[in-house]
Amino acid sequence: MLTKKQATIKMIQKGIIDMLPLNLAVIPWGILCGSLAIQRDFTVLEALLMPMIVFAGAAQLVATELIAENAPLLTILFTVFIISSRHFLYGLALRQKLKVLPLKKRVALGFVLTDELFALSTDKKSLKGKLRLTYGVSAGFSFYFSWLFFNIVGIVAGAYLPDLTTLGLDFAIAVTFIALVIPTITSLPVLVAVCVSGVLSVVLKLMGWELDLVIASLVGMYSGYLTLRFTNQNQLNEPEK
Amino acid sequence: MTLLTIVLLAVITFTTRYLFLHPSLPVKLGPKMVSFLNFSAPAVLTAIWVPIIFVHEGELNVNPLNPFVLSATIAVIISAKTKNIYWTVGVSLAVFVAMKFFL
Repeated sequence: MLTKKQATIKMIQKGIIDMLPLNLAVIPWGILCGSLAIQRDFTVLEALLMPMIVFAGAAQLVATELIAENAPLLTILFTVFIISSRHFLYGLALRQKLKVLPLKKRVALGFVLTDELFALSTDKKSLKGKLRLTYGVSAGFSFYFSWLFFNIVGIVAGAYLPDLTTLGLDFAIAVTFIALVIPTITSLPVLVAVCVSGVLSVVLKLMGWELDLVIASLVGMYSGYLTLRFTNQNQLNEPEK
Repeated sequence: MTLLTIVLLAVITFTTRYLFLHPSLPVKLGPKMVSFLNFSAPAVLTAIWVPIIFVHEGELNVNPLNPFVLSATIAVIISAKTKNIYWTVGVSLAVFVAMKFFL
């Protein structure tokens, strides 16, 4: 039998190990974000605060460019709000499990509730009970510190690096998400949700819609939900409860 | 000025993540809403990765020999076969880098 302490340590380790591929996948992006801030004349403090308190990927990158271009404050804030608004969905999806937690844990998990942590928290049981929470906090913060660390590498190396924004570094992120999503497609409704969301995200992106990501996701989710209801009704021949 | 902007940005990103975790927020999720939200992870993550592969500088690119498209196709196949994140990311990334390097 494991003692309580041993079990906690095991969970901390497992959180870090499961997050490791994601921590590695953001190496190029982290370096890119850090170096871009320096190349766009941010002070070291400002460049540090971006990953430390804003702690975002795409939003951080876009904000850095907008600030450097002296864009109006409202434009910067609104753009980041739009890019970040998908997190509302994560909060909603995890609300039942996390709203009952004590303030400190809730705020801590909220702070590190990234795409990556959410991707590791999709199981029905995830984040339920002390040990799974420890796992989530450990995974979430290991991602935070890895993001911060590679931003710092970028900040330090910034002046010596070429402009990295055109290298296609986001491929590493895309392929990590592929590796996370594909194995979860185990039913027709999920397949429908993924296909609709994928096709629509490309169409809306090409049309230059601001809310492309959120709209594509919502329509994809609804398509999956409708498929589930439809197949349930057909198979079980009973209305949804 | 930049410092103030950064602090405001932090408030925004934190709010979008934390808001619905707050217990006193008057939001009640019925079973239908929960079922709908169960699709959020695959839908959102897909809406993030698909445009990275197929849209470059505002243009659609579906050429199967494009490094993004070919490597992503390989990633999807390996992921479906192995369900292993390291194999998926490792092999497709290697293909991607090799194509960028040699083409």
